[in-house]
Amino acid sequence: MLSVRGLVKVYPGPVAAVQGVDLDVPVGMFGLLGPNGAGKTTLMRIVAGLLEPTSGSVTLDGEDILARPERVRERLGYLPQDFGFYPHLTGEQMLLHLLRLKGVTAPGGLKALAGELLERVNLSFAARRAVRSYSGGMRQRLGIAQAIAGNPRLLIVDEPTAGLDPEERLRFYHLLAELAEQRIVLLSTHIVDDVAVLCPRFAVIRGGRLVARTTPRAARAALEGRIHEGLVAPADLPALRAAHHVTQVLLVEGRHRVRLYTLDGGAPAAFGAVPPSLEDAYLVLMRLGALPGVEALEPAAASEANGEPAVSAEVRA
Amino acid sequence: MSGARLFEIFRQDALHSLRRPMFWVLMALLAFMAWGISTGHAAIGSGDARVGGHKAWITSEFALAQLVIMMTTIIYVFFISVAAGMSIIRDEEHRVGEILHSTPLTPGEYVWGKYLSVLAVFVAVLGMHLGLAMLFNHVLPHGENADFIGPFVLANYLRPALVFGLPTLVLFTGICFAIGGLTRKPVLVFVAPVAVLLVGAFFLWDWSPVWLPLWVNRILQFADLTGLRWIKETWLLVDKGVDYYNHATVGLDGLIVAQRLACVALGLGAVALLHVRFAATLRGAHALPKGHAAQARAATATPAARLESLPALAALGMRSGVPGFVAGALEVARAEIHGILRHPGLYLFVPLILLQTLANEYNVGAFDTRLLNTSGILAVGAMNTLTLLVCMMILFYTTESLQRERSTGIGAIYFATPLRTGAMLAGKALANTVLGVSIVASCLAGCLVILAVQGKVPLDLAPFALVWGLLLVPTFLVWTAYVSFLQSLTSNRYGTYTIGLATMTLSGWFQMRGKMNWVANWDLWSTTRWSDIAPLEYDRMPLLLNRVFWLGAAVLFTVLTVRLFERRERDATRIVHRLRPAALLSSALSIAPLLLVPAVAGTLLALQVHEGYEGGVARKLARDYWKKNVETWKNARAPSLAAVDFDLELDPAKRAFRVRGWYDVLNDTDRPLARFPVSVNPEWKKLAWTLNGDSLATENRAALHIVTLPRPLAPGTKARLGFSYEGRQPDGASKNGGAQMEFILPSSIVLTALERPTMAPILGYDPGVGVEEDKNQSDPREWPEAWHQGLSRPAIAMAGNWFDAHLKVSVPADLMVNATGELVREEVRDGRRVTEWRTDHPVRIFNVVAGHWKVKRGDGVAVFYDPRHPYNADEMLEALAAARTWYGEWFAPYPWKTLRLSEFAGLPTYAQAPPGNITFSENIGFLTQSKPDANAAFWITAHESAHQWWPNLAMVADGPGAVVLSEGMAHFSSILLIEQAKGLEQRMGFCRSVENRYGRARRRDSERALVKMDGTLPGDSRAIYDKGGWALWMLHRFLGRDAGLAGLREYLAAFRDSRDNAALEDYLAIMRRHAADTTAFDAFARQWFHEVVVPEYKLDDATVEKHGEGWMVRARVRNTGTGVMPVEVAAVRGVRFPHGKKDAEPWRDGRATITLGAGESREIAIPCAFEPERLVVDPDVTVLMLERQKAELKLGRGAAMLAAKP
Repeated sequence: MLSVRGLVKVYPGPVAAVQGVDLDVPVGMFGLLGPNGAGKTTLMRIVAGLLEPTSGSVTLDGEDILARPERVRERLGYLPQDFGFYPHLTGEQMLLHLLRLKGVTAPGGLKALAGELLERVNLSFAARRAVRSYSGGMRQRLGIAQAIAGNPRLLIVDEPTAGLDPEERLRFYHLLAELAEQRIVLLSTHIVDDVAVLCPRFAVIRGGRLVARTTPRAARAALEGRIHEGLVAPADLPALRAAHHVTQVLLVEGRHRVRLYTLDGGAPAAFGAVPPSLEDAYLVLMRLGALPGVEALEPAAASEANGEPAVSAEVRA
Repeated sequence: MSGARLFEIFRQDALHSLRRPMFWVLMALLAFMAWGISTGHAAIGSGDARVGGHKAWITSEFALAQLVIMMTTIIYVFFISVAAGMSIIRDEEHRVGEILHSTPLTPGEYVWGKYLSVLAVFVAVLGMHLGLAMLFNHVLPHGENADFIGPFVLANYLRPALVFGLPTLVLFTGICFAIGGLTRKPVLVFVAPVAVLLVGAFFLWDWSPVWLPLWVNRILQFADLTGLRWIKETWLLVDKGVDYYNHATVGLDGLIVAQRLACVALGLGAVALLHVRFAATLRGAHALPKGHAAQARAATATPAARLESLPALAALGMRSGVPGFVAGALEVARAEIHGILRHPGLYLFVPLILLQTLANEYNVGAFDTRLLNTSGILAVGAMNTLTLLVCMMILFYTTESLQRERSTGIGAIYFATPLRTGAMLAGKALANTVLGVSIVASCLAGCLVILAVQGKVPLDLAPFALVWGLLLVPTFLVWTAYVSFLQSLTSNRYGTYTIGLATMTLSGWFQMRGKMNWVANWDLWSTTRWSDIAPLEYDRMPLLLNRVFWLGAAVLFTVLTVRLFERRERDATRIVHRLRPAALLSSALSIAPLLLVPAVAGTLLALQVHEGYEGGVARKLARDYWKKNVETWKNARAPSLAAVDFDLELDPAKRAFRVRGWYDVLNDTDRPLARFPVSVNPEWKKLAWTLNGDSLATENRAALHIVTLPRPLAPGTKARLGFSYEGRQPDGASKNGGAQMEFILPSSIVLTALERPTMAPILGYDPGVGVEEDKNQSDPREWPEAWHQGLSRPAIAMAGNWFDAHLKVSVPADLMVNATGELVREEVRDGRRVTEWRTDHPVRIFNVVAGHWKVKRGDGVAVFYDPRHPYNADEMLEALAAARTWYGEWFAPYPWKTLRLSEFAGLPTYAQAPPGNITFSENIGFLTQSKPDANAAFWITAHESAHQWWPNLAMVADGPGAVVLSEGMAHFSSILLIEQAKGLEQRMGFCRSVENRYGRARRRDSERALVKMDGTLPGDSRAIYDKGGWALWMLHRFLGRDAGLAGLREYLAAFRDSRDNAALEDYLAIMRRHAADTTAFDAFARQWFHEVVVPEYKLDDATVEKHGEGWMVRARVRNTGTGVMPVEVAAVRGVRFPHGKKDAEPWRDGRATITLGAGESREIAIPCAFEPERLVVDPDVTVLMLERQKAELKLGRGAAMLAAKP
């Protein structure tokens, strides 16, 4: 179990990146969902022993890993959001180097293991090429390879699918799922689909605070019958926004396909109820701060009341 | 190109530079140095310095030109390399390129904008630096230094800045900027400044041997892009006097103008090259070589995944663990070495040090003659170079190594591994040692090549292992630990560079100012002297304590590095908490055990320095001696020695000695002597006196003991003063390396009862003790014209009278001893060798020397040499024999039975010639590299042998000019002997060598007439030796051989047994009696001994035309110097000294004699039977002149100048 209690991180400025986070992460996959600047990476780096918090505690299987960060590194696989490699080494050399630094052993030897890992991330063809010649996606895959190496008790992956094409993303999902069977995997992302596909449990963080801790099923269930969809003329959109909680607006053949959230079922006539998605739940949480029936972790405050703009996604098809 | 966009880049970069601590640290350093120079705490000299009369202004254009050159070359250039070299690299690391170059910004605007920004910043720095100099020099008060500040002349500041400073800034900013932009490798930006410093400091700026052709010198002046060689060779080498330098502007010639323009062109050209390459590669466009297209396609192909066929991850059986410390460190080292080996830096710096080593193999000794290189000499000689270069490499490579994870972005992954921080740092340090080892190995290779090419001296790796292994390696460890500590503390490469460079600069500053001592001297700069005879014996304990102290500090730095290394980014609030007193105290206590070793070693070392012979205690004792006694005893009469009995027991292992003995003191004045002073060493222990066998209590006035006689000693009577004491020599440690003139070491002993009480008490007050230059040194005494009339005191206080000596010397049995007199008894018992010596003829000085020797003997002569130095022993024996024969025939028979010459450890470099027992340090004579035309071993031995006559037989007086009769006479005698024994070529070579040394060391403003010289002014020493020797020899030629020798014999006879001691005026008076034309003699003596003259000849307007059967050469000869001397001008052809070359054209010459006064010129015509090649003034080297190499003219078509005046 990874336990976080009262974690606070204030950068000089001052900037409060994490404002008192409490979290328990059991074995298995756990998603940390939130917008850019919410504090996800800061939280990941603190847990990975790369950043000293201002206050709070983090324990892994009962052991304080803030006081002794070297203890978490022994059991950690870490894929940061932003990283690089030594440009003068080949992919294979870089991976071998990291395997040795992590103290990884394998029955067939490290060289064979490196080959296997590179095969899994589809980098065998580029194993003997210098890392400086790798594309962004290739570097990401090499990062994944080193993160999954060994037998880490805790695997932290921060925005892992950035730069991966759909095929590679699918491959990565399978890898993570395999790993999560027996270890704690903490997945930090702003892509809702990642959580929807992988995580039986997740938390939402915004402005350095947890706003929800739930499961995808519960989140969707909380919105059952409350999400309505309909087509609206562009001229009618402003009035609709003023009267209802609009969660998404998609442009289809010149008209807006609008999804809106109704607390008490009062949707406009042209709108019909649709099954809620996790994205709907995320957007409702960002906008309203709470889901009905889901434990609120901070006083629910409308986004507008806080002066924050309404969260909506407008996509031109 | 858009000016607005270029200006925006310029503005942004300039603001960034101005915000950086590096900029402000540089300004602080420059301000500190400007203040130091204005207040006299540092000097860059030209002309005369700090003794009486006119002072050289530090505000003159000459002084400021040198200042600007030195500062920009040594200080600015390293900061430039960081600021300019890292400019583009910084943008790359911050990954701003993608965004910047997606705007309309063109490559040219980007490159030139950044370059102009860094150039402007450093031009501003130069401006502010000079502004501060103006402020400190002309606005703030200076106290004692006011005499060195001239009137404010803005041009004096601006011209050097524009001529020397600005082109240097353009050059180095351009080159460093281009290197950084082209290579994107941080370490390479330091190649330029390191190369400039190494090549300049250790070669280009000072290397200018006599034989260097002028055209080569000019090329080297152009090649030194700092301008320092040009200004030295053109304006400073031959001193033009303080007044000139204070008021004149630095005249520019075509060479320097072209060179400065070349600097600007090179700098801007480098930037232009970068512009072109940057533009070409910015967007990745480059043509593929033929055949590479298929490779490129294959490289980009991404095969489809085979996910379904792969087994489960668990089947791989992976296990995580913690790598062991050693395994982790080795893995880190392996990866780092992989990078280092692929980095071009290694392949640039290693050849640089190799070239530097090979260039430094030319070491000079006495008379500017070349020394043989031995392993130890090379090892110690390379220490400073290696220290400077390797420490710089450590600074750059260590910083970049520790920065690498952040720069490459791998930090988040890397620091999250279980690798221990200590292992990571150890691995990086280990990898960086590869670089250090490569550099040291290449230096070793260079040294071995030098030794192999030289031949003669066997290869011996032990000195390299000893000096580099025990002394250098700790320096590198200390510096590595310190730099690592800085980088851990600051987590900022620029901060580390700044503090590191500032540390090196300040260390150099304190060294230069003489403020460094053993404790602070972390890099052992210039502390170590090598001696094959006594390797590292002299300063063994201070060296050991110094290394232990600094290695202890290195351990402390290392621990702090590991603790402070920011593997986990620190929280600001927690930092504040950690800085609370309680937390700080707790941290300090946790590292306190690490302070134990350095604290103990440092304390012991500081005490040793403080209590050593250069420390505070010794200085106070010396000051007390001076303060208590100068007014009362300075001119007090002291008796002479009539006899000496001296029992000396030596314990070299402890540097200790014990003495029992007595002096028979003679009152050789015309009045009774009731009491007299005796100087002793204040550190002697158990000092006891007797008088005529009875115990005597003396008045101890801070080591000047006043002997009060029960009854005054009547004139002509004697008393026996007995003494016993124990002492050590040296007593304690030096301040910062170096050696005293006399010492007792396990391998070598040299002691003399001459002027200082090191071995024996000295009768009289010693005026040199307790005088400190900047505290209580008076101006030199002004002697009355007739000072020499009447009885004059001897120049060496104890040497005024002849005495018999009986010496008994006891040493460990493995040592051999030579002492004054003849060996009458020798006994080896119980591990001790006891020797007894009695003089067979009275002496004036006595000495003792001991070593592990082999002996070469001749008829009445012997050379005692270290078995490792047999190279010149035969030559020196030949010189001793020749001296004994010919000096004996020319001057007076040699009175002592044996003339011995013994070798001692070359810790100080000197030779001395007490009667019958000459002593040479190993690097005089024994390690001289003799050539057919420059037999330096013979020359030096001839000089020291001459001292057996001058002044051993005729003691010189204590007064101005008298010492010319010692050192000048020795040179003069050597000239005679060299010509007699070795022939004309060697004599000419010796004379040229002596003349050249005089010309280079001459101080035009402060040089006095020979009769006035007393050795107190800079330049006096060289004039006494070199000009004195020349003048005496020219006088001898003027008189004619027979008359000259007759005069010498009369002089010797007059002063040999006289109570009076000889002055130069006495000598001239005697010589005058042997002159055929006393009027001509008076004129000669007046200009060479009573005035300061030296001619300088130039030839021009030369023509050669057929004249009947032969040729006629016409030319104009000018005397641009002073003095009037008849001098020959020869039209010559062929090789004068062919040395057996069969195809050498025979020598022919036609001569004419001309006499020119100061400023005069005259046309000469020389008929020749052959077509001459050259005109040479004074072809036989018989007239002392300045710049002899310019008094030659190549003839032939066009009559081009052989040596052109700039």
